[in-house]
Amino acid sequence: MKKLLSCLLLLIFMAGILSGCWSRKELSELAIVLGAGIDRTPDGQVMLTLQLAKPSTITGGWGGGARGIEPSAWVVSGTGKTVLDAQKRLATRISRSIYWAHSAILVFGEEAARYGIRRYIDFFLRSPYSRETMWIMVTNGEAKDILEAYSEMENTSAQDIANLARSRTGYSVNLKDFTIMLANQGTNPIASRIDLIDYSINSGGLTRAKSVMQKGAILTGTAVFHDETLAGFLDESETQGLLWLRGETLKGIISVSSLTEPGKEMSINIIRGATEVQPQYDGESVWFDVKIVIEGDLWEQQSGEEIMERQVRKAIEEEMAGEVEDKVRLALEKVQGEYKVDILNFGESFHRKYPKVWPKLKDSWDEVFAGSGVNITVEAHLRRSGLETKRTSEKE
Amino acid sequence: MLEGGKISSRQAIFLMVSMVLPTAFLFMAAVIAHLAKQDGWISLLLAVLVALLIAWLVVSLSLRFPGQTIFQFVEVILGRWPGKVVAFLYIWWLIHVNAEILRQFGSFMVSAFMPETPIIVFEILVMVIAAYAVRNGLEVFTRANEILLPIILVMVFIINILLIPELNLKRLLPVYIDNGAVSIIKGAIIPSVWFGEIVVMAVLIPYLNKAKEAYRVAASATLITGSILIFSYVNSMALYGPEAADGWIFPSLNKVRMVNIANFLERLEALIMFVWVAGGMVKISIFYWAAVLGSAQWLELKDYKPLVLPVGVIILALSIMAHESILGLYTFLATSALPFWIVFQACIPLLLLIAAMLRGPRKTRH
Repeated sequence: MKKLLSCLLLLIFMAGILSGCWSRKELSELAIVLGAGIDRTPDGQVMLTLQLAKPSTITGGWGGGARGIEPSAWVVSGTGKTVLDAQKRLATRISRSIYWAHSAILVFGEEAARYGIRRYIDFFLRSPYSRETMWIMVTNGEAKDILEAYSEMENTSAQDIANLARSRTGYSVNLKDFTIMLANQGTNPIASRIDLIDYSINSGGLTRAKSVMQKGAILTGTAVFHDETLAGFLDESETQGLLWLRGETLKGIISVSSLTEPGKEMSINIIRGATEVQPQYDGESVWFDVKIVIEGDLWEQQSGEEIMERQVRKAIEEEMAGEVEDKVRLALEKVQGEYKVDILNFGESFHRKYPKVWPKLKDSWDEVFAGSGVNITVEAHLRRSGLETKRTSEKE
Repeated sequence: MLEGGKISSRQAIFLMVSMVLPTAFLFMAAVIAHLAKQDGWISLLLAVLVALLIAWLVVSLSLRFPGQTIFQFVEVILGRWPGKVVAFLYIWWLIHVNAEILRQFGSFMVSAFMPETPIIVFEILVMVIAAYAVRNGLEVFTRANEILLPIILVMVFIINILLIPELNLKRLLPVYIDNGAVSIIKGAIIPSVWFGEIVVMAVLIPYLNKAKEAYRVAASATLITGSILIFSYVNSMALYGPEAADGWIFPSLNKVRMVNIANFLERLEALIMFVWVAGGMVKISIFYWAAVLGSAQWLELKDYKPLVLPVGVIILALSIMAHESILGLYTFLATSALPFWIVFQACIPLLLLIAAMLRGPRKTRH
């Protein structure tokens, strides 16, 4: 009897637990956020724009037919005093509960970025639902427009932009690294810059070709912050120089002009590289010795130099080095001269090498950085030449 | 004897690791990072040394009274009534520590995974399981732990290994100069206290089948826990850097969220959840068992089973009443818990050892 009773109690107790989690949300009850945008309205409020997946169109795949007309995401904006306040307003319009875990990008409009970014990112770090792997972007217009952009390759612009960031063709930064740069005294944050580009697409397939103008997203360089406020932008070639200076993602293509035939070019694919920054301090002034080593393969040759000859290869290597140095100088001039902010992690390397001097300099570091000299040496190596030793199409 | 179980040295090591590691893995890094920044690993090293001292102290004390737990031998050292008072204080301390652990357990589940669930739901669930484990005796949850701990360690290891692509060891530089000795020592106090939970050895030693190996058990458990925590701390620092790491409550959770291998192997929070739930359950069981056993010995009962439920209810109620919020819990763990813990982990055992030495070697057995 006692056993029976305890079994019964156990069953009743289990029924309470087995029904599932307390805060459970079924997939069909979720509005999955693919990307989010933050703008500052003229009256100082936060405008949160969400790109929400429309499950029916995404799972439909190619069969949907009306690509380019029927978007597979719903972009919706709401304003509020804080990010969460804006989300609360949105929740009254969105029939499902907003689910942050799959948000891939976080775009800031220029106004919001210039106003100060710390207040906006706190929610994304504090909430247990959003992830630190989100890519941080800044646009020079409104973030809303970026999220409304069209993508030819992917289902939605958020996925498109996240893939652009992941391929690291330019500078891309996730929320974790962005936060580290914000928290760090010796660095100022940078983020990718994203813009809109017009292009026309064919909608409705081959049968009734009709051209429609659409806006797509494009990575156009880097946004430079001074502490938490946007200071300005770097364009693509300055970004390349910046990446070399920071020692990140040294891949990419550089083109050098031909040694013998003017107007013709050679392209070299950079395979790897390394940047070494040595801070120097003599008690008064600060300067940096930067050594960049790159290795590349010759992948395209418009002209007809004999690359089998050692001197020619040496000359090409010198040109490569010169090209890299030019880009690096370009970025450095802009960063030191125009924006006067250390976005190169130089402060951190100085801190590591001179930890005792650092406390004296850290509060005025950006000024010290802007006034510091930088010696750049570039060492280039041409390692391979594709499948040819000379142009196969060449006449003897 | 109240508790008939006997466990091997290996089982005891496993048990002692489970007793410190799970909560420390989640909570400790943030507290240390706040004080000692990138030099926290030095703090942890110091803490391991302190813990070894505490372990030596407690084991030496215990071994003077073979077959007796701390609740019994204090009466031999101090006399019946003063001994009863100290034993009572220890029972109270065990209950309080367990209430704090339970609160941490619930707080993490609520903060990180299920914000809308009342915290007491998680606490009741884990207490029911722990009560069942304790009722069945030491050997039962020791064996459960023998299965769970290796899985926990593998998970902790996997988490840290998968993060290697994200790490930047330069974030650990410069060593020492930024923070200086004071911050590093301050940072060592909290982990010392955490490792100092090894004092529970004073309850466990009579149930070891080879009591002489107790030194080895305590030392290995402390070294294992210490090296895992140092490894994990260095990993957190190299991932986040000293500035960004100190604002988080659960750095290990934030770490797991960063795992992203080939855009495919990601969102591994379930691993952390496993470490937490399994490890937390074992940890709570150990303190629960010690408290229940202590109460029974204090009251000189023949069986401790009738006490399982009442002690459990006290622990549960205390854990709910102890703090308003997780921030209160956090402040308590980082500040006011320390003197309280130090008294029980170091001061009293030390005084007892001195008193026992003054009284000379014991001749008769109880």
